[in-house]
Amino acid sequence: MADPHELTLDELRQRIRAAGITIPENRLAMVCKLLGDALAPVRALDSRTIRTVEPAVKFVAEPKEGSRE
Amino acid sequence: MSDEIFYATIRELGTRYRKREISPVEVTRALLSRIEKLDPLLHAFVTLTADRALEDARTAEAALRRGDENPLLGIPVAHKDIYLTRGIRTTGGSALFAEWIPDSDSTVVRRWQEAGTVLLGKLITHEFAFGLQFPGHKFPAARNPWNLDHIPGGSSSGSGAALAAGLVAGATGSDTGGSIRGPAAFCGIAGIKPTYGRSSRAGVMTLSWTLDHTGPMARTVEDCAFLLQAMAGHDPADPASSTVPVGDYLASLRRGASGLTIGVPRNYFFEGVDAEIERAFEEAMDTLRKLGAEVRDVRIPSLRGAMSFLLILMAEAYAYHERDLRERPELYGDVLRERLLAGALVSASEYTQAQRIRAEICAETAEVLRDVDMLATPTTPKPATPFTLAHDPEFAFPRSNMAPFNLTGLPTLALPCGFSSTGLPLSMQLSGRPFEESTVLRVGHAYEEATAWHTRRPPV
Repeated sequence: MADPHELTLDELRQRIRAAGITIPENRLAMVCKLLGDALAPVRALDSRTIRTVEPAVKFVAEPKEGSRE
Repeated sequence: MSDEIFYATIRELGTRYRKREISPVEVTRALLSRIEKLDPLLHAFVTLTADRALEDARTAEAALRRGDENPLLGIPVAHKDIYLTRGIRTTGGSALFAEWIPDSDSTVVRRWQEAGTVLLGKLITHEFAFGLQFPGHKFPAARNPWNLDHIPGGSSSGSGAALAAGLVAGATGSDTGGSIRGPAAFCGIAGIKPTYGRSSRAGVMTLSWTLDHTGPMARTVEDCAFLLQAMAGHDPADPASSTVPVGDYLASLRRGASGLTIGVPRNYFFEGVDAEIERAFEEAMDTLRKLGAEVRDVRIPSLRGAMSFLLILMAEAYAYHERDLRERPELYGDVLRERLLAGALVSASEYTQAQRIRAEICAETAEVLRDVDMLATPTTPKPATPFTLAHDPEFAFPRSNMAPFNLTGLPTLALPCGFSSTGLPLSMQLSGRPFEESTVLRVGHAYEEATAWHTRRPPV
């Protein structure tokens, strides 16, 4: 059975149509692999389990301040 | 003049200049001849600035005669060709900017110039710091001096090749997912990606705003310290630039590794690592123990999501290139164009989730760095990739040991820790707490003093 998290060529084609761009047929497999690898952690994520995490990145001099509260 | 001068350290060059044993003009002329001889094989330089170099060398000589003590006086350097240089073309390794001549310098270029360096030229970069040049590209790809059939790493490919071949004493690099540390690893040299915000990105072509770092590359850790000292510091022209005071990297260099605790994250960084690299890394940890450091295992579970870096990079890179991709797509290199276009396929929600994963990795890593002073990991899972593999369009973007430190912004030094049975360099990376460049440089220097990997020369 196909991995539900995996990016398929059909889904890739849908995304390409929605974005209004053109990618040659002979590059689709390469783009599918690239985007699929990049999406893997996001697709494996249950966003509810990190509900308190905000998409902000802060760098501070003191490691204590950079820790999770 | 002995060939050893081509591999002299910054300290050695400065000492010999001040003893009048050799002059910056003599060194510059010798290097220009060496570049003329070797660069047709290596393709490290995209633009040679011979007249400017000799002018800089004469200026440095005059300053030396006046007793100026700046350690970078007369030091021959070159810049990755995404650093803007006033009056000198800056191509980004791309046909889009093949003849572009900026009217201003990037902040780092200006700071090195003010320190008295000699500018030999501009070094080839992977196109827009992202795409290896495929055959037929406007600019040929740089080759690895250790084996011309292998890539020197990227995207600071020319910087790595030129340093390993003894064509320059220092070079700039940029690092979005490992572009300073990868070429350092593949070419057997050192390179440091400072903390995000430590070194200015103003006047450097963007790949990905939240991941881009600038930093120095050199043949030794001490040389990296000299070069970083001259480039670090607040720059109002870079919105991400930090106001945290810059440490004295040279002063702390001799403090050794004793008393420090080094954590080795055993998850993520050892998946798919070649046995030779793992062995070299473990031997390096033994050396650090002998130098008085405590080495112990740690875990950072959230690193399972580290490939989210690629999603962030793709989305941000597309945002930067969108207009040119729509209006002049034919000027982008093959494969790079499609890689950039893939960023248009990332949804806003996916980009946001990737940044949340990043925030979790940052928090967990900061937690670990409460217990240990720094982290040590293999820089790359494998030694330099052969061109035959890298030029396969289907060759997947490799899983990266370096990207976690772009996500977290932590200062990370790559330095040689061995050689493969095929004669290719192997490397480890040391990562410190935010703005603790001094700590990683100090431990890297202690390791370098105890080993001889950095003294090996490639066969070119």
